[in-house]
Amino acid sequence: MKQGFISILPLAAGAAAYGFVFGVIAAQLDFPWWGIALMSASVHAGSSQIVAVEQFASEGFVIGAVLAGLALNMRYLGIIASLNSVLKEVPLLQRLFAIHITSDENWALTFAKKAKDPSIGAPFLIGSGLTMFVTWIVSTTGGALLGQSIPNLIEYGLGFAFTAAFIAMARAMWRNKQDTLPWIITFIVTVVLIHLSLGSAFAIIAGSIAGVITTGLTQQIMKKVAA
Amino acid sequence: MTDAQWLLIGTLAFGAYSIRFLGLVSGQLISEHKYLSKFLADLPGCLIVALIASSLAGENTITWIAAAITLAIALMTNHVVMTMAFGFITIFTLNHYFV
Repeated sequence: MKQGFISILPLAAGAAAYGFVFGVIAAQLDFPWWGIALMSASVHAGSSQIVAVEQFASEGFVIGAVLAGLALNMRYLGIIASLNSVLKEVPLLQRLFAIHITSDENWALTFAKKAKDPSIGAPFLIGSGLTMFVTWIVSTTGGALLGQSIPNLIEYGLGFAFTAAFIAMARAMWRNKQDTLPWIITFIVTVVLIHLSLGSAFAIIAGSIAGVITTGLTQQIMKKVAA
Repeated sequence: MTDAQWLLIGTLAFGAYSIRFLGLVSGQLISEHKYLSKFLADLPGCLIVALIASSLAGENTITWIAAAITLAIALMTNHVVMTMAFGFITIFTLNHYFV
């Protein structure tokens, strides 16, 4: 678990910058600091919180804001489903807690580390998840309390650091040449669907499914060729 | 907090956890089927590539160039923190000189 706590720290620093910005925005939209802390602890979904709060402030409707926020969170269907191999031996209560504290970053880091070291499992996921969870609550609350006294690091390109981290994690997860075509298909389908104005959450799911189907088809074709 | 703000936080929390719980249940159900369980083994890689694609879609040429350079660094180093740091330096430098 300790390894998870420490390994995720560079990514947690990046998430803190986002959390701080969200806290500033939410406070400007009349959310009290403790309400922001409560939301971060109970919802724990960065992009969903940002979209929901912005929609709520501009439209004033709760249902519309919630649906917009949840649509962005749909990718967690696949993310949590893929954790089955990591969490299957874990007691139920721990499992229910682990799925709440899982974020994009610690999920991806767990699989990237697992690709190099198969002994990596639930303790790493939970340790890194706790770091991200606490960071998110503290940074969003800090943003609400301290306001705009700290410069917006995202404007300096910090947002790209996440893309860079995900690229590195994908490199670590790459198993062999058989992954190449499915990953290219995934990438192309996701980009095309976003350009066709499908929401990014649905494009991510559709792109991933296209990639997985490609893997299955490729393996069937190779089996037939070999036979 | 207003009633509407309480309602927003409550429904969003319930909805967000429901999605995660549904993911947990579907992961268990899928793993019980031999053919479908392979789906779970292939899913993480495809999901992370889709996350990268979604963060690059609609971005400018400089971001795409930075991503290509970052990919090269990742291929060479296979190290998350190093790639993250070089990626940040790359985008900062490109933005500084070309924007």
